[in-house]
Amino acid sequence: MIHLDLPFLMQCAKFLLAFIPLCLIPVVIFLERKGASLIQDRFGPNRANIPLLGGIRFFGFVQNLPDGIKLFSKESFIPKGAHKAWYLLAPMIPMVIALLTPSVIPWFAPMVVEGANGLVQVSGQILDADAGILVLFALSGLSVYGVVLGAWASNSKYALLGGMRASAQMISYEVSMGLSVAGIFLLSGSFSLTHIVEWQGANPLHWGIVLQPVGFVLFLVAMFAETGRAPFDMAEGESEIVAGYLMEYSGMRFALYYMGEYAHIAIASALVSTLFLGGYHVPFVGTEALRANLGQVAAGLFAVFGILCALIAYAVRRWQRIYATRGASDVLDRKREHGILFGLFSLLALAFFAAAAASLVGIHPVQTLVAGSPGWPLWVELGAALLQVGVLVAKTLCICWVFVWVRWTLPRFRYDQVMYLGWKVLLNIALLNLLATAVVAKLVKG
Amino acid sequence: MALTIPRPEMTFAEKAFLPEIVKGLAVTIGHFAKALFRPETLPVLNYPEIQPEVPRNYRAKHRLMKRPDGEPRCVACFMCSTACPANCIHIQATESADDRIEKKPAAFEIDLLVCVFCGLCEEACPVDAIRMDTKVVALAADSREKFKVGLEDLLSWNPADYPASDTQSQKAPGGTLNEQARKEWGLA
Repeated sequence: MIHLDLPFLMQCAKFLLAFIPLCLIPVVIFLERKGASLIQDRFGPNRANIPLLGGIRFFGFVQNLPDGIKLFSKESFIPKGAHKAWYLLAPMIPMVIALLTPSVIPWFAPMVVEGANGLVQVSGQILDADAGILVLFALSGLSVYGVVLGAWASNSKYALLGGMRASAQMISYEVSMGLSVAGIFLLSGSFSLTHIVEWQGANPLHWGIVLQPVGFVLFLVAMFAETGRAPFDMAEGESEIVAGYLMEYSGMRFALYYMGEYAHIAIASALVSTLFLGGYHVPFVGTEALRANLGQVAAGLFAVFGILCALIAYAVRRWQRIYATRGASDVLDRKREHGILFGLFSLLALAFFAAAAASLVGIHPVQTLVAGSPGWPLWVELGAALLQVGVLVAKTLCICWVFVWVRWTLPRFRYDQVMYLGWKVLLNIALLNLLATAVVAKLVKG
Repeated sequence: MALTIPRPEMTFAEKAFLPEIVKGLAVTIGHFAKALFRPETLPVLNYPEIQPEVPRNYRAKHRLMKRPDGEPRCVACFMCSTACPANCIHIQATESADDRIEKKPAAFEIDLLVCVFCGLCEEACPVDAIRMDTKVVALAADSREKFKVGLEDLLSWNPADYPASDTQSQKAPGGTLNEQARKEWGLA
């Protein structure tokens, strides 16, 4: 009989963390659409609504729903001459990888739990490997395999061109991506992501972005190229090769590629946050300090969320006004909908402020004896882990926004410019950065 | 001989690309924040619910002006259909019942699909009978035939939709100056 003790259950529960990037997909798609439209001075999607909930449109977030229904009900066409098995297999690869990669990202600080066989350390990643980052690089390098395979199997010249470009781009930027984080490995002295995060600590002045600013920019650029987004969307290249590798795909198979791309963005953002933005650390508050001052830190974070909700409620008020002042024919519907949204976000803001006050007053963790030595009770460790997951997700969303922001700011590169930038500029800067880091590290640390 | 246009020399900051990217990012985030918190400054409308402001002098769908007794003002002189570059105005004349006026239109048809909205019919009309100030710019119908508007359609406008300063429109049935116009005409 398997003994269901606490550490084992927690190991099982950690598998839920693998779904974080999956849950982020609709959020990132929404960010992308709304970000693009607002940057371009337009409204963006705002028509899809849920009739059962008072015709609520939720700023176009609801648009994901009809899109999903459409893609589900569309015919998945297989072109003549396509290699059927590979054609069907290829779209699954990016999605499978999107589900696998979060397993090596540490979502919270390792905690010590008392099990049946004494104290057990439960780490913040599903797969606690010393070579975690190498696993991640290998997997994300593999995701281009899905693109190339799909492109090749489609029996289409445009798709093949897209696939070739994707592989060439992947090879070019994988090099500078690896070299740009080599500085971090050098300084932290480990490939283990948990160790890298612990080495960065909670002080933002000791984060990777401060110690390795060049490496950060290089890594971010390489990540833009890896995820195949504008300004590096060579594989899709809609202005030259129609839709590139997506050319012959439709329905849910297209959606798998599409969602895989956004999941890849979410994972890349989580990786950037982990390597350069202190990972799961709450800024200025280390793990031990977080457990000791759980109430205060939670209050601070709740207050930040409360302010964000209040800002959204304010924006809702401003958006409601344009329907009234411009004499919209559906002004009453819009007034009701914005009333619901305003009430919702005001209540959320109030709830967050109330939660902040409650946790400030009510949460006072006291150390107890865990297996004979002083330690934190389980609820404190779980609460701290929850906050850390929340902070990492917030950092990830911020980097996702950078992805969107850059996409709608920069024009696309030409193919030869992408190659020039990858081989002649980024690679050299990465090498110089590594050299300089090595010299400085040797001089400073001895 | 080919003309050589000298390209402006780029500064180091421009060649380095990154400072310029940061400037571009600043521009876009500015637009984003402005759109998010000041949506009324956006140059777009939620179209079918919010209609654009059409100026009164915009050349929109035509209408025929009316006399105080409701008869069309048109004297069927064919000036507009002669002036029309698209040949979209078709008039059939008949004898007028009013002894001061020779003719009136028995049928007056404009094919709005053929019309180029140039306004030459307005210019040509000697009695200011045809106007294009209805503000109707979104023309929609489910068959080509329905775009051929006749006398009834062209005359069915409401004086209340036109400003008081447009006295000509107010001197028609339903207008605020109709009584006065009927007196001047001796129709009382």
